[in-house]
Amino acid sequence: MLLSVRDLHVSYGNIHAVHGVSFEVEEGEIVTLIGANGAGKSTILNTVAGLQAPDSGAIEFKGASIAGRSAHDVVKLGLALVPEGRRIFGNLTVYENLRLAGFQLDAAELSRRIERVYGYFPRLQERRGQLGDTLSGGEQQMLAVGRALVTGGNCMLLDEPSMGLAPLLVQQIFEILAEINREGVTILLVEQNAHMALKLANRGYVLETGNIVLAGASRELAQSPDVQRAYLGG
Amino acid sequence: MDLTFFVQQLFNALQLGSLYALIALGYTMVYGVLLLINFAHGDIFMVGAFLGVFASMVLGLPFVAALIVSMLLTGLLGVTIERVAYKPLRHASRLSVVITALGVGLLLENGMLALTGADPRSYPEGFINTTSFSIAGVNLTSVKIIIIVLAFVLFFGLYAIVQRTKWGMAMRAISYDKFAVPLMGVSQNQIISLTFLLGASLAAAGGILWGTAFPVLSPYMGLRVGWKAFIAAVVGGIGDIRGAMLGGLLLGFIEIYTVAYGKDIGITSTWRDPIVFGLLLIILVVRPTGLFGVARRQKV
Ligand SMILES: Nc1ncnc2c1ncn2[C@@H]1O[C@H](COP(=O)(O)OP(=O)(O)OP(=O)(O)O)[C@@H](O)[C@H]1O
Ligand SMILES: [Mg+2]
Repeated sequence: MLLSVRDLHVSYGNIHAVHGVSFEVEEGEIVTLIGANGAGKSTILNTVAGLQAPDSGAIEFKGASIAGRSAHDVVKLGLALVPEGRRIFGNLTVYENLRLAGFQLDAAELSRRIERVYGYFPRLQERRGQLGDTLSGGEQQMLAVGRALVTGGNCMLLDEPSMGLAPLLVQQIFEILAEINREGVTILLVEQNAHMALKLANRGYVLETGNIVLAGASRELAQSPDVQRAYLGG
Repeated sequence: MDLTFFVQQLFNALQLGSLYALIALGYTMVYGVLLLINFAHGDIFMVGAFLGVFASMVLGLPFVAALIVSMLLTGLLGVTIERVAYKPLRHASRLSVVITALGVGLLLENGMLALTGADPRSYPEGFINTTSFSIAGVNLTSVKIIIIVLAFVLFFGLYAIVQRTKWGMAMRAISYDKFAVPLMGVSQNQIISLTFLLGASLAAAGGILWGTAFPVLSPYMGLRVGWKAFIAAVVGGIGDIRGAMLGGLLLGFIEIYTVAYGKDIGITSTWRDPIVFGLLLIILVVRPTGLFGVARRQKV
């Protein structure tokens, strides 16, 4: 098991946002976590990535407990988060954003990984001198994924990468995620766009107000009447 | 107009402005990274000046060595102040941080007073080369030239660090969005410490140079100078190091030329500070974000 979360509880002050969530991700899989606004998706990802401390519960990555570890340490273990809203450094150029993600790397490894990102996203190479603020939403999402690749994780968590993007662009980015996955990166994808997410993922979990209410193979979930009614407009 | 006199004042203005700039850089860097106004920074400048005196009197170090020792020790003092006094308050209200900063300043002033007594101190004879010379009727001293050159060298060194190195990128990244910095595998605390290290050591350089230009040191020397440098940073656009440099120089120019030409029109030098602050207020009314400032993105 690459990533396993058991009985996770997280709160903000006295707002209890995640109520005992458990899920697992195996090496090489694409797993999706779908749920409506406020279901607790971002809270879960941020907690796994170390940005937030859980109240209780176990988080194991590659067999080691990472619950409560600080985010910059978790990244070094190979777990990268592409956060909600992309969070590009707008005052840094495309190249500088990638360079910063490679903070820990030596020069040779850094340029190798940045070349790899430019391979997936030639657009970023064209725009490498441009400030993050001036990129389009799609380019920012590419850069956010690119940064996660440079940190070198073999496990990538993505928080609503489709947010605010045109369907065609979402499709392009999802195709690249599939390719990244084929090259060995395990993916945990959080989405409201259940349709796209279930098409890409092997398995999925459905989250409602801090609880997992359904789990299964993507094809089964897509056909489940509950999911169709709530998330697929069916 | 007397050109020689004008050029003479130009060098005085550059000297004073460079000194303000060296201190203003620390205010602006800390604000950029933490949105915190380090009100103890003027007193850190004072400590830097005194550490220079100790290094030269007690250890017998020459100018350059004393400068380096004082910059290092003062830099570490800056890091320690952040770790001990500010870090525990990172999520506290602005007001408690401001009060803490003022308290740290008082501690430094009174600590230094207890340590050195009330007698003013100065650098020993021969600490720095004080040759005077005259070019085309303009009287210069080697001290003046050293101060101006060193301040610019330090500024461009800092600018290169901020623009070209990964450490500088991390500092700029934090000032834009703290949230995502740890996701890059970068420890925020390390970058914050680096910021205090750089800011405090530049203030120390300013302190030593100040002490060679205006050779009387007192534990309270950081108060007035600190406020002025802070205002210079705000006028330049707080958070931007080019702004701090420009704001410091501008302040030096306004001060020196107000005094130099004010007396011809009946303005005595006691009016210097009110006029300086008045002019700066006008700049801020016209450009509230300062000369280099951009309106900050509202952060969630
Ligand atoms: N900083 C915060 N302070 C207080 N409550 C918060 C905070 N962040 C999230 N919450 C609450 O926690 C719950 C879960 O929020 P979360 O952001 O994890 O949901 P989400 O599933 O990611 O939603 P969305 O699809 O809108 O991004 C919500 O009820 C939200 O109001
Ligand atoms: Mg969310």
